[in-house]
Amino acid sequence: MRVSTRLYQDTGVNAMLEQQAKVSKTQLQLASGRRILAPSDDPSGSARVLQLRQSLSITDQFQINANTATSRLQLEESVLNNITNALQRVRELAVNGSNDINSNVSRGAIAVEVRQLLEEVLMSANSRDANGEYLFAGFQGLTQPFSRDASGNYLYAGDEGQRFVQIGPNRQIAMSDSGTEVFRAIQNGNGVFTTRENAANTGTGIMDPGSVNGSFVRETYTITFTQVLPTDPITYGVTDSTAAVIIPAGTAYQEGADITFNGVRTNIKGTPADGDSFTVSPSVNQDIFTTIDNLAVTLETGAGNDAGRAHFANAVNRFLTDIDQTLTRVLETETNVGARMNAIDSQFNINDAYSLQLKGAISLIEDLDYAEASSRLNLQLVGLQAAQQSFIRIQGLSLFNYL
Amino acid sequence: MANAGLLGVGISGLLSFQRALTTISHNISNANTEGYSRQRVELSTRPPQRAANGYMGQGVKVDDIRRMVSEFANAQIQSSTSSYKHLRAFYDLSSQVDNMLADQQTGLAPTLQGFFEAMQDVADDPVSLPARQVLLSEAGSLVNRFRFLDQRLENINQDINSQLRNIVSDVNSYARAIADVNRDISMVYGNGTGQLPNDLLDRRDQLVRELAEQVSVTTVLQDNGALNVFIGNGQTLVVGDKAQTIAVINNQYDAAKLEVGYVASVGTISISNQLSGGKLGGVLEFRSRVVESSENALGRVALGLARTFNDQNRLGADLNGALGGNFFNDIDQSSPRVLPNINNGGAPMADISVSVTDVSALTVSDYRLDYDGASFALTRISDNTVVTSLAAGAFTGGTPLTADGISLSYNSGGFAIGDNFLVQPTARAARDIDLQISNPSEVAAAAPIRSSADINNIGSGEISAGSVVGPPPTNADLQQTVTITFTSPTTYDITGVGAGLPSVGNVYNPSTGVTLNVNGWTADLTGAPASGDQFVMTANTNGVSDNRNALLLSGLQSAASLLAGANFQSAYGQLVADVGVATREADVTSNAQKIMLDQSVAQRESVSGVNLDEEAANLVRYQQAYQAAAQVISTANDLFDILLGAVRR
Repeated sequence: MRVSTRLYQDTGVNAMLEQQAKVSKTQLQLASGRRILAPSDDPSGSARVLQLRQSLSITDQFQINANTATSRLQLEESVLNNITNALQRVRELAVNGSNDINSNVSRGAIAVEVRQLLEEVLMSANSRDANGEYLFAGFQGLTQPFSRDASGNYLYAGDEGQRFVQIGPNRQIAMSDSGTEVFRAIQNGNGVFTTRENAANTGTGIMDPGSVNGSFVRETYTITFTQVLPTDPITYGVTDSTAAVIIPAGTAYQEGADITFNGVRTNIKGTPADGDSFTVSPSVNQDIFTTIDNLAVTLETGAGNDAGRAHFANAVNRFLTDIDQTLTRVLETETNVGARMNAIDSQFNINDAYSLQLKGAISLIEDLDYAEASSRLNLQLVGLQAAQQSFIRIQGLSLFNYL
Repeated sequence: MANAGLLGVGISGLLSFQRALTTISHNISNANTEGYSRQRVELSTRPPQRAANGYMGQGVKVDDIRRMVSEFANAQIQSSTSSYKHLRAFYDLSSQVDNMLADQQTGLAPTLQGFFEAMQDVADDPVSLPARQVLLSEAGSLVNRFRFLDQRLENINQDINSQLRNIVSDVNSYARAIADVNRDISMVYGNGTGQLPNDLLDRRDQLVRELAEQVSVTTVLQDNGALNVFIGNGQTLVVGDKAQTIAVINNQYDAAKLEVGYVASVGTISISNQLSGGKLGGVLEFRSRVVESSENALGRVALGLARTFNDQNRLGADLNGALGGNFFNDIDQSSPRVLPNINNGGAPMADISVSVTDVSALTVSDYRLDYDGASFALTRISDNTVVTSLAAGAFTGGTPLTADGISLSYNSGGFAIGDNFLVQPTARAARDIDLQISNPSEVAAAAPIRSSADINNIGSGEISAGSVVGPPPTNADLQQTVTITFTSPTTYDITGVGAGLPSVGNVYNPSTGVTLNVNGWTADLTGAPASGDQFVMTANTNGVSDNRNALLLSGLQSAASLLAGANFQSAYGQLVADVGVATREADVTSNAQKIMLDQSVAQRESVSGVNLDEEAANLVRYQQAYQAAAQVISTANDLFDILLGAVRR
């Protein structure tokens, strides 16, 4: 083909320009470390990178959420731990105080410590986090949840709200527990029923808190003792709230022998007097403060005569079952908090792995293969050099040089 | 006679070779002239003279100075140039948008992420005012980014307008220049010598080529040598020595947008959609394919985000316990627009409004509303499909036209047959988006209600936290205290203030539970409540630590809020991909077209281009021939001298 001088030159120049453009692009890629300099370099890859970046940002945010939740749960855990310690100390004091060697004076002293512990538990239940938010107020984090009114009742101003935090795409985990859940909705007695002696009892009958035997029929039962003459055998009968007979009156009383009816198994020790009675009633929710308060009152009241000692013993027994329920609840919550922290931990690891995977995927799409790019640059530089040298040499060739 | 013949023949050679040398030097001089076609002197023998013993040659003469040209190659260059310039103009504009959208600094994605990260931080700690303040400032950045991107697109639109003006004026000047050259060429043709004005033809070809860079043209050569030029669908631009003009005119719907019009006796008619090729075609295609759809796509994300976020915020309660309001401004009310065609005949001018009813059905297309005298039809422009239509009476009677998540309603005014309107549901949303709230406490992180079970409940019944039923506005009695009391393990009463309350004797199945739907909230009752158990739903007074609504707001980040299950980020990603694909396509095809163009140019150059070596060789050849011819004259002189000397002796 015939080639015009102009085309000859243009071709040479264009070849150099093209090579330069390639070198410049490779150079830009090498300098930025990115394979995709503009979306048009890889439209679907770019769109995918955007999506992956969003996933990465969400995952990183889950990690931040997880850390927030963990620090909050750690705080709750340590508060619960304090409360557990206090409750255990109260329980110890109750056991110590129940010992007959104590005088009423020493019981009074124990009662003082119990009251101090009660204050400590109350303060713990009103704990706040670094932002001044109450831990156990439900949704009403700026409202103090627990207080004692003038007549000694414990009030709750919070609610049952529980705050959740998002730690995974479909994973929310609770980062709080409400005061009701931890401190208030605790069934007294053995959790199903509670036993109580009649305050007017004159005998020395001490009732066992009892255990559930089969299924408890929800009802308040009264065990009434009869001994018309001191020489008569002690007998008892059980009636329910409608005075219906469960165990007929006149059943012989045997100290420490099981009394079983309608799912209740209990026994009574000591010597109940004629007319003494005991009740078995379904458990109700009793808050942790009332439970401790009851002990303090019991210790402060002390024990006078034999009947008083029986009352005292019954009250301490009742307290011990109540405090055990409370301890169980607090420990359960603590365990639960620990389990949540574990769950957060494992989700954290999953998120971490996912985040790494996402970074890898983004890098694979977007990042430059340096080895490939630098060898490409070398090739292109050789090409550019060749274009320049051949241009110069070819340009020197002209017939006019020889005319 | 013989001597005189010798001299004559020698002179003919001298003169012819002089012409040839002149032509060669003309070629050499124009070796770098744009559009120049090399010329060649065509030599032939002069008519011979009959002598007794045969025909005597009479020397050489110049027949013609021929312009070496391939009409085919020229036509190829012309069409390749149009295609290449079209793609190149498209690419140059498109790469601007391309770079802007996905950039880490200027793109939407980082601010969108920052906004939702801040939202999560509020969910983590709803009481914290600093966290809420950060959310507001991130929302501010997001709003600014939307506006910034829209502004950039708007700037590109203005750039397109000024490019259109320039191109139109260039086209007009080329048309005039071609007409002028046509006149000159026709005059030469008219004198009947049959000789062609080579350099004028080159000049005209070059003008047509330069015109083809601006817009695709077709040409027809006339018998008188004039070249007629047509654009678009056969609109004449040049006829003989007359040039028509084109002009920029306002878009029939949107005065901010320029179109190309053909100036005819009846007025200026828009021919934008008939033009293709060249810079003009590229710019126009870019505007309709990239700018408009980018504005719409960006607007759809802005509108979708604002609407869904507002809706969720309105279902929550703020830090003061009040029901949440709009977080962003209500752009779905302010930005969708209906633009009447300037040629509409209805009087007074009809007023139609459009609102977005369902962002999840919203497309990125614009729509056209047509009135044909009997009914109104709404056409989706992207695929030219009628999406809905309605009898004229019904529409003006108050029935809205609803399709694709938008609703058009008639307000006032009249219609003439053939009236039409451009409906842009999303185009302006990215420009109009703004923050509505300014006080951090107004972020509705909490739910407005909370549930509780009575502390003295005996049974195992539980009530869920309860959620507000969307969309807003919420039920007027939402925050009224409502009590659910079990009258037996299988029956319950609902009491309190609200529609349908009290409702007594409802049946409860402990094995399946029940979902309550009261006063615009819903909650699940499960388990086995006992008779006398109570559950209460109340206003979430002082519920500052509640983050339930904040979690729902955060969830919007990955929620499939938009059409085809897209979330905001993926809808934006789609825009990035679309622009990327368009840009890449233009890049790749323009490179391919460049190769085609280069080949056509090479082909033309191989025929018409000047090769200096060839000219040098020719120079030597004709120089030698000239010397030889001069020698002939000298020989003739010698012969004459010899003859004179012989006679003298």
